[in-house]
Amino acid sequence: MHRRDFLRTASIAAAATSSSYSLSAWGNQLLKGSAEQVISIWLGGGMAAVDTFDPKRLGDPDKRIPGSYYPSIDTSVPGVRLCEHLKRMAPLMDRCTAVRSVNHDVIDEHASATNFMHTGHHISGTVVYPSIGSVISHERGALQDDAPPYVLIGYPNVTRGPGFLGARHGYLYLTDTSRGPSGLSRHPSISPQRHSRREEIFASLRQSHSTRKKDALRDYEDAIELSLKLSGPAFNRSFNLVEEPGNLRQNYGGEFGQRCLLARRLVERGVRFVEVSHNLNFLNGTGWDTHNDGILQQHALIQELDSAVSSLIIDLEEKRLLDKTLIMITTEFGRPPEFDAGGGRGHQGKAFTCVLAGGGLNHQGAYGETDEIGKTIIGSPVSVADFFATIHAALGIDYSKYLYDGDRPIPVTEGGKPIAALFS
Amino acid sequence: MKQMFLFNYWLSLPSRNALQTLSLFVTSVCLSFSSLHAADLEPIAHWGFEQEESTQLESHGGVHRDIPGPRPPAYPDFTQDNLAVRLDGKGAHFTFADPGINSRFDFTNGDEITLEAWVKIDEINPEDNVYVIGKGRTGNPGFSVNNQNWALRLRKEAGLIRVNFLFSSLSSSPATIPEKSNWHRWTSDQGFQLGKEWHHIAISYRFGEPESLVGVIDGVQVTGHWDLGGPTRNAPVVDDDAIWIGSALGGTASNSFRGELDEISIYRAALPASTLQARYRGPNLKLSTEALTEQMPELGILSTDSVLMSFHEGMPSHARWLNEDEKLPPETLRWHTKTFLLDRLPQQYDSWGIRDDWKGPVLVRMAADITLAPGKNRFLMRVRGLTRLWVDGQVIARGVPQIGSQHGFEPITPLALSPKPGLRIAEHRQQEVIREFSSSSGGKTRVVLETLVGGQAFRTDPGETCVAIETEDGNSFVLLQPGHASLHLTDRTVQTVLAEQELELQSFDDQRRRSAAESQSSYWNQRHEFARDWARQHPSPATPPQHSQGNPIDAFLEAKIQSALAASSQTSLHEAQAFHEQVLPILRDQCFRCHGAKSQGGFNLSSQESALAGGDSGLAGINPGHPHDSEIMRRIRSDSPEERMPPGGSGLSSEQVAILDKWINSGATWPAIPVTKETVRTSPPLSDEAFLRRVFLDTVGVIPNEAEVREFLQDTSPDKRTRLIDQCLADVRWADHWTSYWMDVLAENPTLLNASLNTTGPFRWFIYESLLDNKPIDRFVTELILLRGSTYEGGSAGFGVAADNDAPFATKGQIIASAFLGIELQCARCHDSPYHSTKQRDLYALAAMLEKKPVVVPSKNRVPDAFFEQQQRESLIRLTLKPGEPVLPIWPFAEATGCADDGSLVRLMQQQDDSREKLAALITSPCNQRFSEVIVNRVWRRLIGTGIVEPPHDWEGHDPSHPELLKWLAQDLITHNYDIKRLTRLILTSQLYQREAVTSSPSSSPETQFFVAPNRRRMSGEQLVDSLFVAVGLPMEVEEMTFAPEAGFQSKLRLTLGVPDRAWKFASLANERDRPSLSLPRARAISDILEAFGWDGARQNPRTDRETDPNVLQPGILQNSDAAIQLTRASLHSEMAEEAVIAASPKQLLESLFLRLLSRYPTEQEYALLAPVLSEGFEDRLLSEMNSTLLTPPQPLPVVTWSNHLQPGSTSIVLEIERRTRDGLPPDPRLRTTWREAYEDVIWSVMNLSEFVWIP
Repeated sequence: MHRRDFLRTASIAAAATSSSYSLSAWGNQLLKGSAEQVISIWLGGGMAAVDTFDPKRLGDPDKRIPGSYYPSIDTSVPGVRLCEHLKRMAPLMDRCTAVRSVNHDVIDEHASATNFMHTGHHISGTVVYPSIGSVISHERGALQDDAPPYVLIGYPNVTRGPGFLGARHGYLYLTDTSRGPSGLSRHPSISPQRHSRREEIFASLRQSHSTRKKDALRDYEDAIELSLKLSGPAFNRSFNLVEEPGNLRQNYGGEFGQRCLLARRLVERGVRFVEVSHNLNFLNGTGWDTHNDGILQQHALIQELDSAVSSLIIDLEEKRLLDKTLIMITTEFGRPPEFDAGGGRGHQGKAFTCVLAGGGLNHQGAYGETDEIGKTIIGSPVSVADFFATIHAALGIDYSKYLYDGDRPIPVTEGGKPIAALFS
Repeated sequence: MKQMFLFNYWLSLPSRNALQTLSLFVTSVCLSFSSLHAADLEPIAHWGFEQEESTQLESHGGVHRDIPGPRPPAYPDFTQDNLAVRLDGKGAHFTFADPGINSRFDFTNGDEITLEAWVKIDEINPEDNVYVIGKGRTGNPGFSVNNQNWALRLRKEAGLIRVNFLFSSLSSSPATIPEKSNWHRWTSDQGFQLGKEWHHIAISYRFGEPESLVGVIDGVQVTGHWDLGGPTRNAPVVDDDAIWIGSALGGTASNSFRGELDEISIYRAALPASTLQARYRGPNLKLSTEALTEQMPELGILSTDSVLMSFHEGMPSHARWLNEDEKLPPETLRWHTKTFLLDRLPQQYDSWGIRDDWKGPVLVRMAADITLAPGKNRFLMRVRGLTRLWVDGQVIARGVPQIGSQHGFEPITPLALSPKPGLRIAEHRQQEVIREFSSSSGGKTRVVLETLVGGQAFRTDPGETCVAIETEDGNSFVLLQPGHASLHLTDRTVQTVLAEQELELQSFDDQRRRSAAESQSSYWNQRHEFARDWARQHPSPATPPQHSQGNPIDAFLEAKIQSALAASSQTSLHEAQAFHEQVLPILRDQCFRCHGAKSQGGFNLSSQESALAGGDSGLAGINPGHPHDSEIMRRIRSDSPEERMPPGGSGLSSEQVAILDKWINSGATWPAIPVTKETVRTSPPLSDEAFLRRVFLDTVGVIPNEAEVREFLQDTSPDKRTRLIDQCLADVRWADHWTSYWMDVLAENPTLLNASLNTTGPFRWFIYESLLDNKPIDRFVTELILLRGSTYEGGSAGFGVAADNDAPFATKGQIIASAFLGIELQCARCHDSPYHSTKQRDLYALAAMLEKKPVVVPSKNRVPDAFFEQQQRESLIRLTLKPGEPVLPIWPFAEATGCADDGSLVRLMQQQDDSREKLAALITSPCNQRFSEVIVNRVWRRLIGTGIVEPPHDWEGHDPSHPELLKWLAQDLITHNYDIKRLTRLILTSQLYQREAVTSSPSSSPETQFFVAPNRRRMSGEQLVDSLFVAVGLPMEVEEMTFAPEAGFQSKLRLTLGVPDRAWKFASLANERDRPSLSLPRARAISDILEAFGWDGARQNPRTDRETDPNVLQPGILQNSDAAIQLTRASLHSEMAEEAVIAASPKQLLESLFLRLLSRYPTEQEYALLAPVLSEGFEDRLLSEMNSTLLTPPQPLPVVTWSNHLQPGSTSIVLEIERRTRDGLPPDPRLRTTWREAYEDVIWSVMNLSEFVWIP
């Protein structure tokens, strides 16, 4: 096979290496949605469900009375309430499902739980599992030849990596919305005129070389061609947020909002999976890891999330992209209704909320139920495997199949079953 | 009423010699002329923890009752059967509810309280406060967390256990961390030391009168001081929260009492000191309060031209000097250097020369006789911890003890101010003290610095410790040194001195390490003697006759070619091709995994003979001429999922079936492979330029520099290649190049943050130093497996760690087996291997040998039974190990390796009963031929590109292409002290190595492998990055790999990997919290390149092969990344700029450029292309100094660390560093911009040629 690059071969490789697992565990019919792309919003640190998408009675940190930190408000879905700082999300909840009964048993360590919430697998000691972004990139490839399948807007991370699927299913990352991904966007000190002189000199030098004829180098030479193309104006235009109307940019909000806006542009460009990290710790020091004092400014974080995600939903809808773009909001674990000694909250993996929006699903506003303070699940528990199966199903990916780490079969999810109600 | 709250009111207790105590008690009260009423002498509560005690105390957690309390004769006031209670220190406590509003237990201003207890302490962590008893601050719901009414606690400071009294004056609080000003804490200055004794502690106090506090320990009244909010006249918090004994705040470990408790009492009166003093009758251990009288250390005659540095490890405390009853630990080592300056301690090594931890705190002394001017001399001292600076017998300056670091919220330490304009500022959290000393007559004066480095909670790291003295003109400070001091305390000078010192320190380390390693040399000499004996008894295959022509490697290769040509001539080319190109690939891809590598169902399809024979069913697998009577075809065609072959998937295509039918129909012949002269034609010899570059990259890991290229190309002597090989093998950079490899293979995976995802200790340093010393490979492997030295600072013990892993030793067993035995046990973690003969038991037997005890497979490491129930056909995987069955430490690989656990091992082991050492011996014994062959194959593969066995980590079912050559090389290794360099030299000097590379298909089978040429290889990430820096002549200059530059944590929590100067020294910068303040921007710019080219700092699993497929990011990152732009810029102080400034002509500049980047001269065509670009404006390229803009360096920034990374300011600082990283160093102002840019464009174009990244 002529390996042009990672962009093209992903789906071919997928077809060649996967075979279906027995369906008996899933019933006889696989659920299949029609979403094409994913924008994954990652709330690093651990979002407190009782303070956001699963509000409960008010607590009191001074008196150590467990409960929510903020009052709640009604939404467009009867019976579904949100914390008062999600007021722009509230009217959009008919396009969303807050899955309130996600749970896992991973230890309270951020990296471990983050790993679990990206791979859906416990650390095995022998297999490095791919992140969900890499699996989807592997299964579905990029939509377009000159767009990478998987982009991470955030710092590079092991847990977002491709694991055994290999580097071509890895992400391109960027941390600055004014520039494209590291390696594919030109350095600000090199003017376009200068760059074209470079390319000219470079092209004539390459021509004078005989290396193109040599077999092994040919693939690398092809990669050079492609990198020149991608770092050129066409692809990098996606990162030029200035092209967007000013009021739209303003609606999206600060740096995180701009990341979400960029995610929409990347989806338009043909990127299959975009992860947007929301944990810049300017607002409250700790990001979503609201121990102690970190909780004092939590509302600012929630409001930022509110304006960015609500704008994203409306924007996608207006551009008729919402039905084919699944938005997922995940976090490594939740936080308990109780307050810690410093007035903030600790970690809670046994019951927390992740959110789905758009993607052509039959949204419910909320799914799953926790008890009166959000401590335990009392209805429709959703394991992380189930949650991941839901995402795969929404994208039409066979969630029952195996991937292969060499000879070793690895299920796409650990026996996860999609939330059927979202597919009816 | 009061009686209601009394339990075991002390007079009624049998445990205590009541009368005696009572009389003492009464007497003392009388003597004190106290105005106390008799009733006030009775405690309002007392707990004696006897058997019959009321159970109104509620116990929680690890409480152990009925253990012996203080008893006579040591404690004569107690009964022989006195009992006490033991608390586990993990939150164990008793609770007692407050009776309600205005209870006897509520104290406010004007109320008096006395608290006393007998305690016996197991341990208190430094800086922790453990509760004996307290009211409030329980963490109970409904109460503020800051409601401490009163508490008697213990605290360990500077090695002594001190009494501590605490209350809060804050009545209610918002949900914030309490303001320190509301907390009032009194701590005694004296204390007792940990030991097996019981101690009596007491405090009395009148609220509102801070001066009224009386503290007593073991009959001695102690002094103390208030801190946090300091003394206060404000009232304490009063509410109805409970009384807790033994812990607080819901049972946090750091507040929990670990040890034994007895006789706790609370009084509503301030008992006088004399009363409390009289309570103690015991061994009367003196409180270790008396510090040893300070005296300048006696260091004898000192050298006149160097500073003595001496080190004493294991000081009792980081926070104080020695007490009277303590002795200075013996000197660990000493060293001489030029000045009073040190930025790291020498390495510590164990008795085998493996990196070990310093036992902190370490007393570091620097001493010299200095010539002082008469009159005033001003000294400047920078230190990290407790310090005293002696001049002429007097302490003239002191440093305070080091303090630990917080987790995130520490305030940002502002940058230090420069002591004089232009001088270097003190490092982050380094104390700077400037003091004067008046010398009456001047002249030789002894100066001694004593400073404590490290300690239980800190890394043993002195920071940049120094002493300097003000110059006579008062404008500067110079580093203190004997003789003429002229080294000014400027950045540049200090950095230069430190760099020189680092070289000296490295050679000091090398010398001590090697001399420690000598302790094992007689053992290893014996082992290598034994290996030679063994080899004599098991001779290797004879070298083929072609040997006389040169290198035996070439002779073996040639012999195979000749015999293949001969065999091939037996069959028609057409028939042989049909079989080998069409039939065999199907069999190999679809069948051999089970019927070749293994014989599933007793059937093996890897030769004609066995295929005809069939398997367990008794049916012939193949009936030549009759495809429809051949069992394999029946199974291939079967519709039954139970029967169809191959299992799973959709089966063979109809084309494939047709090919097999045709083959069987025509007789199922199995001809030798078709070989023509063309297929075995060797590629042409390598040019000198290409050879030079290849050898450099393969030995020292970087391309040669310009001078090295010129020298080699000009050399005309016939043996120049061999000399070059020897020179490269002797180069210390050999160790850099190979360390990367073993880090991958052994899954070295240290973390800069919290341990998780299979992280290990940084045993990279063990690997590196082993390679530096060219440790024989059997010895390297043995010392690795024995897990020696420091776990978190670079010993092989770091290999033993696997964080977040429920069977770490199974992981290590898997790594060892694949690295050194070519046995892949990945599957065996959870079940028996489906395509291999290895069982789950084999892996856990290795784990048991490493762990030195039987092990049980953790339940998660077992395929659940439900899996098997879901299968429609018999599963390929099996579980032969029963759940919960212990696996014994028994060597599982006697058959695979030819090396059995028999009597012969005795000669190879030093500790006969140590199963870990036994494992090491079984792997490295000469009779384990698998080991030496695996090693040979790994080295061969790294140099040639394809192994003699593929893949190198998994040999089962994979035959060597050249079995005799492999055996011969292995034998050569065994008989030459397992010396890898010798093996490498053999390969590098072969004709094979010195031929032009070709692209070879990785799937070529052993039969068709002739090694007519080495493979074409791309540089590894490390080779590329290191070569880029060598080529353009820039230092790497990235951040130190740490988030604790202040050393405020132990290495286990936050280690440092130092400042990388080679690419292998990087580590994963994974920022799982995704916080800007936890990124290292300059390092990330480099690791982006490394990662694009296949390097991965997070080595969760062992890896022999990295991905080599080109991807778009590789050229992309070299074209566009911040680092690439920086590397191709003619920046300030870069060699590229310097070359441009001094160049005589464009042509000469181009020549240098090509020699630097591509290790060759430009071609005529390249000259023609590029010279015009450089010629334009060449003559005018230099600006006069007047015109070149003066560049001011950017302002230094405060340091961001783990301890302050949650401060918003930290994020801004790191973003600023990111911005500066993106901008890079400014261009050299001496070069005119237009010309410089054209020059840089040429550099960029040459560097981005694929020729740069591909090894010739």
